[in-house]
Amino acid sequence: MKDSRRVMIVLGLSAVAVSAALATSAWAAKEPLKIGVPTALTGTYAQLGDEAKRAVEFAVNEANAAGGVDGRKVEVRFLDTEAKPELARQQAEKLALEGYNIMTATIASGEVLAIGPMLNRWNALYVATINKANDITGKQCQRRLFRVNRPDYSDAAAIQPWLATRSEGKWAIVAADTAWGRNSGESFGKAAAATGKTIVSENYPPFGSNDYAAHIQKVLDSGAQGMWVALAGRDAITFARQAKQFGLFDKVVTGGVSFTTDGTVKVLGDIAKGIHTIINYSSTLDTPANRKFVADWAKAYPDDAPTNFQGETYIGMQVIFQAVRKAGSVKPADVAKAMSGGTFETILGTQRMRKEDNQLVGPNFFGVVESTKGKLQPVVKLTVPAEAATPVDDSCKF
Amino acid sequence: MAGIPAVGKGRGHGTMVQIVNGLVYGSFLYVLAVGLVLIFGLRRVTNFAHGSFFMLGAYVSYAAAAHLGFWTGMVVSVAVLALLGVLLDRFVFRPLAGEEPIVSLLVTFGLLFVLEDAVRTIWGKDFISVAAPEALAGSVTMFGSQFPVYRLFVIAVAVVVALALALWLRSTRVGLYVRASSVDPVTTGMQGVDTDRLSALVVAIGTGLAGLSGTIAGPLMALSPSMGAYIIIDCFIVVVTGGLTSFAGAFVAALVIGQFHNLGLVYVPEIASVIPLLIMGAVLGLRPQGLAGQGR
Repeated sequence: MKDSRRVMIVLGLSAVAVSAALATSAWAAKEPLKIGVPTALTGTYAQLGDEAKRAVEFAVNEANAAGGVDGRKVEVRFLDTEAKPELARQQAEKLALEGYNIMTATIASGEVLAIGPMLNRWNALYVATINKANDITGKQCQRRLFRVNRPDYSDAAAIQPWLATRSEGKWAIVAADTAWGRNSGESFGKAAAATGKTIVSENYPPFGSNDYAAHIQKVLDSGAQGMWVALAGRDAITFARQAKQFGLFDKVVTGGVSFTTDGTVKVLGDIAKGIHTIINYSSTLDTPANRKFVADWAKAYPDDAPTNFQGETYIGMQVIFQAVRKAGSVKPADVAKAMSGGTFETILGTQRMRKEDNQLVGPNFFGVVESTKGKLQPVVKLTVPAEAATPVDDSCKF
Repeated sequence: MAGIPAVGKGRGHGTMVQIVNGLVYGSFLYVLAVGLVLIFGLRRVTNFAHGSFFMLGAYVSYAAAAHLGFWTGMVVSVAVLALLGVLLDRFVFRPLAGEEPIVSLLVTFGLLFVLEDAVRTIWGKDFISVAAPEALAGSVTMFGSQFPVYRLFVIAVAVVVALALALWLRSTRVGLYVRASSVDPVTTGMQGVDTDRLSALVVAIGTGLAGLSGTIAGPLMALSPSMGAYIIIDCFIVVVTGGLTSFAGAFVAALVIGQFHNLGLVYVPEIASVIPLLIMGAVLGLRPQGLAGQGR
């Protein structure tokens, strides 16, 4: 009896060893898929970078546990960019030279705009997952630069229906003095004009500001009845805390983008309650694929739900993996070819990577921060279908 | 959240509130910068880790306040940071006193990364938002606008620090030694003053003030391991503009820079972020020794 048990154990262990060896040899037979992630691990957007990092790690672990992608092991390397464009360019170049030339998950749009023009020279490819500046798939579009999240101009399609329901006529804008912040201010201005609202105060505080009092007072003095905020990460939290102290949220109705995300709401608590928001992804979206993603995420990270940035980053990873399978190659030129014009199964449904501007055509959402099931979070109130949410930006000329 | 129309304010009233806002930022800069002035005066060391001490002060205060309340948290933060100052002086500044200034500068630069990583390990990367203590959470009506009491408290802290330092430096024997040592540490030592003990005390006060400024920053800005990096440049500009070793110079420079920086954001936002640098350049152009520096 003892001997037979010993034999069983030896056989079991051998089976495990053989399968591991087979998997390793199968992986060894093919070039690994090396993904480079130049992202903000410190600085104003550190929390966002950390969210993106977790999503990439989740996707990579999931893929490797399922036998890899196209029979290839997925490897990933992260480098800190501090959300600074010049540093992002340097780190991305380093990653590309080390072979991690399929890149994703940078936080600030300015970083992507610095990386984009270098992709051909580095023989690399980049998939934007969080970056919203219009130019990424607009004026500065590149054949090897793709975007899976919603650009700023597409947010107008979600803002406009909401603005049309508001009675407030005078609005203020507070947005980061970055490519993304300026784009968001512009998008909101267009939506406001289309709905007969007037912009009475425009404020673009520097990235990483410590004191927003000057801008808050300007909004108060302007007589604005509503306010649009495009600040993220540390900037969003600092602004919200100070605006609350000045009583600004009690005087104006507030909406924003990347301002009251899952991450910032967790930090701000009740300060964020009632703030309207663009929602590019929510763990509460009720699609079969999203339900599975959220359930798998909770197994990997107990008591946690994926945030908006994590959902968007995961979509980027899904698109990369499927493009590699389709291309049967990890060469950036082959993957880019497979990606352009391709159709991809994502947690938000089947989406098309538009070949005219390398923009994934997906839906957009608008909602408000409120308590559901005892948890304060952005809750979707309005869905804009994919084609309406992602119109073509004809300024892209490859 | 209802859209209550804001009452339009007269331009004059709005400007007055903005001036008070500038005063708040200047006051905050002063409390942080004067610690640097103290340390530079005694040790002739540009403490690059000062921003990290400020950050650490904010986290220590946050952690202590969670159990003991804001005010006790403030005391704990100042005490812990002062103790770290003593250790910094004993194990970093004193052994390196005979070395080239660049050595101390590089060591403090390295310390900056060590402290940031330590805080990241203990408290994590996520941002933290701290509420103002209940007694200071309200607002008062000022020039027709609602103005946060907490911001007035920041001004009060700066005034108390400035008066206490002035009193200590002008009316006590130790203060006399500190002033003498700031001007000429070698001659002061030759007169029988134990400059090492004096340095330990002064560095402790300097880092303690970093802890105090970190505490008062809590309800104003998001806590993050790299928060020191966002404020330290303005702080160095204040110290250089004020005259490196001058306490009064730092006070004036902080208020001037805070004021012009804030008014710049209102009236010339395109160049607001370079205004502190322009002021420093203008002052150094006219007075290379700074506003109140004594020159050498």
